[in-house]
Amino acid sequence: MTDLAVPLKTDAEAPDRDPVVLAGLLSLPTLFLIVLCLIPLFLLVQLSFAHREDGGLWRAGLELTQYRQLMTPQFLKVALFSFTLALTTAVISVALAFPVAYFISRMKRRAQITWLVGLLSTLSLSEVLIVFAFQVLLSGSGGLVKTLVALGVMEQAHSLYPNFAAVMVCLVYLVLPYIILFLYPAMSQLDDDIPAAATTMGASPARAFLTVVAPMVKGPLLSAGLLVVIFTVGSYLTPLVLGRPQQWTVGILISNGAMTTGNLPLAAAQAVALVSLMVGLLGLVRLLSRAGSPAS
Amino acid sequence: MNEGLLATILRRGFLSLVALFIAAPLVVVIGVSFNEGRRMTFPPSDLSLKWYRAFFTDAGWMKSLETSLTISTLASVIAVTVALPIAYAVWRYNSKAAKALAGVGSGLFLLPGVVTALMFSAFWGVMGHVGRIENVVLSHSVILLGIPVAMLSVGFQSIEKALIEAAHTMGAGDAEAFRMVVRPAMTPYILCALVYVFVLSLNEYLIAYMVAGFSVQTLPIRVFTSLRSGYEPTMCVGAVIFILLGFAAFSLLAAIGDLPKLMGRHRPLEA
Repeated sequence: MTDLAVPLKTDAEAPDRDPVVLAGLLSLPTLFLIVLCLIPLFLLVQLSFAHREDGGLWRAGLELTQYRQLMTPQFLKVALFSFTLALTTAVISVALAFPVAYFISRMKRRAQITWLVGLLSTLSLSEVLIVFAFQVLLSGSGGLVKTLVALGVMEQAHSLYPNFAAVMVCLVYLVLPYIILFLYPAMSQLDDDIPAAATTMGASPARAFLTVVAPMVKGPLLSAGLLVVIFTVGSYLTPLVLGRPQQWTVGILISNGAMTTGNLPLAAAQAVALVSLMVGLLGLVRLLSRAGSPAS
Repeated sequence: MNEGLLATILRRGFLSLVALFIAAPLVVVIGVSFNEGRRMTFPPSDLSLKWYRAFFTDAGWMKSLETSLTISTLASVIAVTVALPIAYAVWRYNSKAAKALAGVGSGLFLLPGVVTALMFSAFWGVMGHVGRIENVVLSHSVILLGIPVAMLSVGFQSIEKALIEAAHTMGAGDAEAFRMVVRPAMTPYILCALVYVFVLSLNEYLIAYMVAGFSVQTLPIRVFTSLRSGYEPTMCVGAVIFILLGFAAFSLLAAIGDLPKLMGRHRPLEA
């Protein structure tokens, strides 16, 4: 999200009228967010402590049954896999998106707009469609497999999914436009004089990019990586369609719990655990990056 | 070889590969949709428009298209209507309450989709209001609220403070200044925010599915169902329609607004 607007200096004569105007302005948004955000959030947490009854029903309560179920090796394994998957996706996609965003921000206006429209169009595409497209692309009768066989890279035509690599490539594809667009403002703010000075002093452009440009945008790169983790840790469709059961994530467990097995309290506890782990990871990174930077 | 030339070749090659990666799945889907046969082959064996005809004459697909367009239109209008006073209050009054609301909005957007989907399915269940189209509309508009808040804030920031002061100096009140300066300046940003929320809502699957999927069949839900229950070539046509709608929407956005600025570029850009 972009930074919020810098406030306009308020007029000296206005203050006594402001609270009324402000209350009028914000009453609808406040009501909207209380009903549709805070109450549902509260319900979700309450649900995770509820007592499960037969037939997909539940009764409000305050028990830890569901949380105890999370402490099983099966769930911990799935949770660990979800985070490993998210972190790997983060590293690969940021490594790819960083140079792309840098190069785009240095293009002419028309070329920039073409890239931006292309990226926005893919970014908005439903995960359903992208997963389906990868299914076609990676299938045994798809063009990719045929090309690989023709080139002699592959001996016999066979489907390239389901497996970990297929899940990984599709997730990178899904987050790539987000991350390029996220890094774009920081890249376009960069001063060209500094890498130029480095090349004048004898560094190759690639070296100048890695040793001069990269450290200048360390903050945005780290935030971009965290954003990818946030986006992919709850992934559901991609591992479901392109992965094997070994590649199932917490997202799949939550959705199955809610839609198939009808154990809503357990699904809620898994959701609360997922978000808590995410928030914990964010806090940890924040702490480490603060400790890592010199106190000034 | 000249080092600058080598760098240019490497850069171009890298960017072409990324562009190819981004385009590949889309090209595949578009190609498959023109296939004559039932089988999902790429490159297409015999070109034909038969599945397009099938799509546009199938009552089920048309109903899903209509449902999706209704949901996205309503969700984008509601999200922007709620976001506008928040962004305005932050800009005009530097209001802490408005900032808190904006924070809640963007925080919600960052929660994993499956978590918000579960949250809303529990919420509508408790409200005893299950499987209705308005559940999807309202859930989408609140989840996507962070986007119009951020985009409209960029818009308000771009308004020249000097213009407002000039309007005030010339005797205009708040309301008049709003009408003369703020409203015209904000129109492109409001349109952009509407387009953006519309497209994201149109493509959202998981929340729509978990909140009302069994009775409200949006286009993504229908595509996914047909994906799971056996391949059906008409779904490729549905996919192509998505690609075209998104592309048209964002080209429109580039035409009505300053896209580089909207995406967060502050420095002016040479043509």
